[in-house]
Amino acid sequence: MSRIGVFVCHCGENISRTVDVERVAAEVGKLPGVAFSTDYKYMCSDPGQGLLKKAIREERLSHVVVAACSPRMHEKTFRKAVESAGLNPFLCEMANIREHCSWVHEDRDEATVKAIEIVGMMVERVKKNRVLPTITVPVTKRSLVIGGGIAGIQAALDIADAGHEVVLVEREPSIGGHMAQLSETFPTLDCSQCIMTPKMVDVANHPRIKLYTYAEIEHVEGYIGNFQVTVRRKARSVIEEKCTGCGVCMEKCPVRKIPNTFDRDLGMRPAIYVPFPQAVPNTPVIDRENCTKFKTGKCGVCQKVCGPGAVDYEQEDRLIVEPVGAIVVATGFDLYSIEEKPKGSSIKGYGEFGHGRIPDVIDGMTFERLASASGPTGGKIMRPSDGREPKQIVFIQCVGSRAREKGISYCSKICCMYTAKHTMLYHHKVHDGQAYVFFMDARTPGKSYDEFWRRSIEEEEAVYIRGMVSRLYQKGDKIVVMGSDISVGVQVEIEADMVVLATAVQPRKGADTLAQKLGISYDKYHFYSEAHAKLRPVECATAGIYLAGACQGPKDIPDTVSQASAAAAKVMTLFARDQLEREPIVARVRETGCVGCFYCKKVCPYGAVEEKEIRDRQGNLVKVVAYVNPGVCGGCGTCQATCPSKSVELDGYTDEQIVAMIESL
Amino acid sequence: MTQLIDTSIYTAVTEAIQGEARRILSEGSVSAVVGYAAARRKGSAQPVVITQADDSGKLIFSAACVNNLAVYLTKAKKDIPKNGKIGIVVKGCDLKALVGLMGESQLKREELYLIGVPCAGVLASTILPDTALTSGTIASKCRECGERLPQGCDYTPTVTPPITPVLEKKYAAEIARLEAMTPAERWAYWKEQFKKCIKCYACRQVCPFCFCEQCLCDRNKPQMVETTPRPAGNFAWHIVRAMHLAGRCAGCAECERVCPMDIPLNLLNRKMAKELKELYNHEAGFEVREKGPLAMYDEKDDQSFIK
Repeated sequence: MSRIGVFVCHCGENISRTVDVERVAAEVGKLPGVAFSTDYKYMCSDPGQGLLKKAIREERLSHVVVAACSPRMHEKTFRKAVESAGLNPFLCEMANIREHCSWVHEDRDEATVKAIEIVGMMVERVKKNRVLPTITVPVTKRSLVIGGGIAGIQAALDIADAGHEVVLVEREPSIGGHMAQLSETFPTLDCSQCIMTPKMVDVANHPRIKLYTYAEIEHVEGYIGNFQVTVRRKARSVIEEKCTGCGVCMEKCPVRKIPNTFDRDLGMRPAIYVPFPQAVPNTPVIDRENCTKFKTGKCGVCQKVCGPGAVDYEQEDRLIVEPVGAIVVATGFDLYSIEEKPKGSSIKGYGEFGHGRIPDVIDGMTFERLASASGPTGGKIMRPSDGREPKQIVFIQCVGSRAREKGISYCSKICCMYTAKHTMLYHHKVHDGQAYVFFMDARTPGKSYDEFWRRSIEEEEAVYIRGMVSRLYQKGDKIVVMGSDISVGVQVEIEADMVVLATAVQPRKGADTLAQKLGISYDKYHFYSEAHAKLRPVECATAGIYLAGACQGPKDIPDTVSQASAAAAKVMTLFARDQLEREPIVARVRETGCVGCFYCKKVCPYGAVEEKEIRDRQGNLVKVVAYVNPGVCGGCGTCQATCPSKSVELDGYTDEQIVAMIESL
Repeated sequence: MTQLIDTSIYTAVTEAIQGEARRILSEGSVSAVVGYAAARRKGSAQPVVITQADDSGKLIFSAACVNNLAVYLTKAKKDIPKNGKIGIVVKGCDLKALVGLMGESQLKREELYLIGVPCAGVLASTILPDTALTSGTIASKCRECGERLPQGCDYTPTVTPPITPVLEKKYAAEIARLEAMTPAERWAYWKEQFKKCIKCYACRQVCPFCFCEQCLCDRNKPQMVETTPRPAGNFAWHIVRAMHLAGRCAGCAECERVCPMDIPLNLLNRKMAKELKELYNHEAGFEVREKGPLAMYDEKDDQSFIK
């Protein structure tokens, strides 16, 4: 007979507010097989765990049910406590009476009855739990970093410096990301290129970093410590190993007038190009959509002029499989394209601001390229329409952000600071110009941030107007900005030469597709979700996958770099061990029932199912059945749901247990 | 008006099958041939396994050769020799079952020698086996058959199947009738049908795809499906059967033929097949597939059911 102990937690008031925990403990104490039941304010605290351990010893408990929060929160905690009291940890189960009960109900009586039923189900389930030995698996001490912006670069360098190999995958032809596009950075105004490019070069030269640019993640298999990642290296049409980066091909390319996306379409580039002169690697790529050779079959100039013979028009995409133990996702952000109303999205565009229609209405990143010494204008601020220097410039903050009615309710976090920076850069370059800023309120928490913002007003003469802009329109060669100044309650109209919009930060396009490949979760905006907002901010709920930078939420450079180093530290923690202890919740095949249809093998996402021959004593083949490799099984249970003869079952989730749970109701 | 269906080719087909069986058995390239032989009553036929070339003359093909012989290669294989290649006589509909079984690791193509049969149709019932094949006596599945000449066999007699009259598609019409019902009406219809079930499991025993050694319906720890013929258990069994056959059943309709209570069992399977065709453009039995649509996830899959 089982001697089950049930421990009901108040969770402060989280549970006891809606559930009569004492009644739950008393009622489940009457269930057959339950030898002991009690309640306590914080079961997860040291005295709470002490209570549990003491009861296991004194009451000679055979199984334990902790009725508290989600097993995702504290299953590990309690299993460890149970283990230290001498019981197999897998004889402990949690009954979730918080997320599944107290948090979602209001009626105290009904919630209490439901809590009793939830605990009763877990009592039935735990009765049929088996003693499971811990499984250990080797850890592949190599890491994958997805995204070569500052976040990915920092994480890759930290992990590689700690002595582990890193595979860095970047979608664009060069690493650098958005930071490489910036002119100067707040709050110190140091040149972005000057602090970024050395790091890019470090990546290129690092003996332990394997860099794949112009590449994407095709497919991910496996689990923590043992991922198999398929990388698609897109056809660059230039053989990296042969190219010396001399640049003759780019000089001789007859197609010259292709807008360069790196310069926000302000500058032009040839069909064979590197996005910017400091690109890493300095290997050009052929833009097959615009190249005459690919369009008409004629030309071939770049191949003729290339000394080392690196140009290869026949090159095809290559798929490479990389075994890694951990993955850092650092895919960054896109700026909200405000002129478009994205199809099928709840996010509405900002047609009234004329972005895309009025050439001198630009976004913040375009301003960065104008102000950048390496930009298309050589750092001179000029209007895209006529090249004139703008004498009156208006900055509008919170375009898209914090606008629930437009579909984005979050704050993009970096715009207050970069707009203050823009007013300074403008003032440094156009001494007789005047900058106006329309803002809702200035958000400047961060070391030296508020001082920086004040400096833009007090020393750099920017005029801040608290209020929003309702409309922009072209009048002659001016742009009329109609807004309101709510601090004095008047309408304001400014005739500006140029308008800069601080558009919202959004996750990269395709962030959802990548998340599905990785098996990680994301929010409604497609920002990736961390495992816990406060206590596990860089880990995904999927073990072995970590987040860095703006793919998780809008972030400035210092925060991004900190998070990247934190993610790297998590990877190093994982790599500090040679063997990883794995939960032994794995599937087992009942060989007498298995008919070898191998549906389990077909659906297994981990590739854990193998074919096993069963032979009689004379060595004659009786049949071929499925065998689950416990080291590879991820315990998802898909095989169990698929097996037509119910011949494969997941420990702890057997049909017998689930039916017993249902029957207890 | 009842139309007579031309089955004159069956004499030539019978001779061809006998000749081919004699050849492969005497050459020793197969260890047995599964086919049809005449049974006791006049005009009737029954499955037979022959292992001697001299027995080849027993083999026949007629409108009474209704059985799907694929089942003799899986769970009813006790008379089949364990070693060597097996020859089997297959109609177009039976071939689809064999193809499905290959995709489910139950059979290997290289271990089979397929003798394809050009078919003009078989009888719906063998109660009166000596009946002429007419538009009235032909099996429902043959009324909408598109595979009268099985493809990809090792041997097919060079006989062209006669042009058969276009017959009304009974399954298609019945599915349309059921689809037009309200869910409540449909529930009532199936309730009435399943009420008749006596849980003899003939449908399971005859089905080539019910190849599990131990059916989950026979398990008692835990008991998944109530075993007594009561409405709840009957429903559970027939729903399990329909779901397990979704994407696999190729419509040989043997379940329906053997049902002593005349439950229109293949109707459910054909409805499932129709759904799979519409949702995933999947048709069972035409190629050996690694994965059926229900064992696969594709980002392009219809997700409109998630609300």
